[in-house]
Amino acid sequence: MGKIEWAMWANEQALAAGLIYATGGIVGVAGQFRGWQFACFGIAAGVFVCLLEYPRSKRGKGTSVERTGQYCFTVCVKAFGPLTRNYYVRAFLHAALCVPGGFMLATVLGCVCLGIGSLIYLSAAIHGEHWEPILPRREPPKRVGDSIKEPPQNPPPRPPPEHRRKKADKLEAAAYDNPMSVTVNE
Amino acid sequence: MSVALKSWRANEGPKHLIMMFWIAVNVFLFWRTFMLYFSGAQYYYLHKMLGLGLCISRASASVLNFNCSLVLLPMFRSLLTFLRGSQRVTGRCVRRLLDKSKTFHVACGVTICVFSVVHVSAHLVNMVSFSVRYSEDFPALNVAQYRGQDPRILIISTVPGVTGVLLVLVLFLMFTASSYCIRVSSYEIFWYTHNLFIVFYIILMLHVAGGALKYQSNVEAHPPGCTHNNLSSWTNHKAAGEKGAEFSGAPQTVCQEEAHFQPHFPQFCMYIYMYMIISRCLYCAEWLYRFIRSSTAPVTIVSVVSHPCDVVELRMLMSGFKPRPGQYILLNCPSVSSFENHPFTLTTCPTGKNETFGVHLRVLGDWTSRFSQLLLQKSNSSEILPMMQQRRYPTVHVDGPFGSPSEEVFNYEVSLCVAGGIGVTPFACVLQALFDDWRQYKLRRLYFVWVCRDLQSFYWFADLLCGLRERLWRDNRPDYLNVQLYLSNTQGLQSIGEERYRFLSSRLRIGRPKWKLLFQEIRRANQLKRVGVFCCGPKGISKALHTLCNSNPHTGTAFEYNKETFS
Repeated sequence: MGKIEWAMWANEQALAAGLIYATGGIVGVAGQFRGWQFACFGIAAGVFVCLLEYPRSKRGKGTSVERTGQYCFTVCVKAFGPLTRNYYVRAFLHAALCVPGGFMLATVLGCVCLGIGSLIYLSAAIHGEHWEPILPRREPPKRVGDSIKEPPQNPPPRPPPEHRRKKADKLEAAAYDNPMSVTVNE
Repeated sequence: MSVALKSWRANEGPKHLIMMFWIAVNVFLFWRTFMLYFSGAQYYYLHKMLGLGLCISRASASVLNFNCSLVLLPMFRSLLTFLRGSQRVTGRCVRRLLDKSKTFHVACGVTICVFSVVHVSAHLVNMVSFSVRYSEDFPALNVAQYRGQDPRILIISTVPGVTGVLLVLVLFLMFTASSYCIRVSSYEIFWYTHNLFIVFYIILMLHVAGGALKYQSNVEAHPPGCTHNNLSSWTNHKAAGEKGAEFSGAPQTVCQEEAHFQPHFPQFCMYIYMYMIISRCLYCAEWLYRFIRSSTAPVTIVSVVSHPCDVVELRMLMSGFKPRPGQYILLNCPSVSSFENHPFTLTTCPTGKNETFGVHLRVLGDWTSRFSQLLLQKSNSSEILPMMQQRRYPTVHVDGPFGSPSEEVFNYEVSLCVAGGIGVTPFACVLQALFDDWRQYKLRRLYFVWVCRDLQSFYWFADLLCGLRERLWRDNRPDYLNVQLYLSNTQGLQSIGEERYRFLSSRLRIGRPKWKLLFQEIRRANQLKRVGVFCCGPKGISKALHTLCNSNPHTGTAFEYNKETFS
């Protein structure tokens, strides 16, 4: 079947799960369900997961398509270094965040979805994948062809001034006909 | 840029009309069900218990019903191909709408997801209401077993609850794997998760049959809000309090009998089942037909040719295969992968003289590289074997042919075909068909623009282009075919050197095409005509062409835009 990039799918799942978690939390808080404190946690965890998962990772091979406006998120997530680069850390983090959601009705679905996402991240980590930031490529400055190294500094070599002036007595040797007569010392 | 009404109406009008109609039906369904539960007499007591959650959940359920039935319809590939082919039955407008079938499928899918969120949220509120507002007066109405029962137990212990959770999970898996990114990088994840729709539909049937919400079946004998001698204070207070509001002017009625409640199944659910069963049956029938067609007809590989820039041409023979130019097929090779089907546009169709059909495949992903390895492997034995045993090609199965927008090229008097790289394949088949007999078609002039990144790519069809040019010149139609080749990679000095390709080398331009100038030229040369614009290439090109088609000042030329997509 070929190499499947599990991390990409896990990223989509975790993002959707974060949204579901946050929505469930909002419903729980708004309806003042029993255990609405867990719903508050659900909202916070859901938002955090969304922010963490928003920047897409660079693909192993092929073109990476980044999400709109993900550059600032990339910079923030990149700042945490190995914590965000490693998918084992992410898998365990999502598993830990999803557990409190199971205690409250409205966030149960968010808990299950985030749990599935965490399992797929574990699979990605086992396959050796890691998160790479997509950074804008700086265009190399347009180089002119190699043969043009530098413009010439000196004018082409010319004979000394005495030889340059056409001598009147050597008109026959001149290579061209002068339109005007050349006189000495003009 | 001014928007030309004629072009815009042809390009965008029907699409937007269908969209409006579909949105109107959804809004109507939502509103009608909402009002039914909000003010219907048979739901009076249930509404009192559950409140707005009941109305929103049922209204979103009816929209979900409608969209779940519709979402399968655009995926009937054989049916759509048949509709496309039957030119007497459907006009060009309808055929161009069929190009948008995948967009419609996506729109229905997104609606299903959005309304599932609404439906689930409303039912969560309902669960809490069932628990908190447990009714001692009408015990038949309750789902909870006692007041204050944990709503999570309600979810786990009822059929609609369990099936609902499973449905959300399946929908979650399907939805997250269908983004553009995943389809481009790992199509297998998308394909295998999307086939979970079978499980989705089975669980959906069970979910609908749950019967948790009940309606009152004896409204005439027991008008809602009536008083009863033995009724508890709750209902009496409520009835007394609302006497003025709901039964304005009517005297307080006395109940003749107790309220009876019945779950909706089986009467109410019949029409829900009908939509889904019909669409499921049609889909199964179509799948069976395609499966039988593709596995019983044997496909023989006749020849394999390797072209520059990682392209392999495959020629095959299959009896009873009659595709039209511009159609595509799905190839399945069990030696590479049993379940994967990959679409390839046909580049050669069978004709009277030559029964073989061919595809050009570009080696890009793992399936194509493995497949081309199997096709191109050289036999290692040193002895000379007879012709029969020299090449052992892998078996392939062909599913199709399926229709695509490029079939319409012949139905315009003037057509512009723009191809990017390997996107030239649908037009190669068109050129081949013109080469065989250009007179039988309505087409009078063809503008062919081919943009490539690499000069070697033009050699894939250089012979075909030059051959067609020769043929048209001999038939005294030199203005029929206008070819422009563009090389977008501007590094280095590049030209087609061969003498026999002089026709192409004189039409080769370095740099990207200037679409506005091209459109101006076509407009001037073809006034008051309807020009079909066909694009098969990268998104940037198709977007630019789409905008230009809709903006068309001053002259009467209308440009109709048709885009070919795969995934």
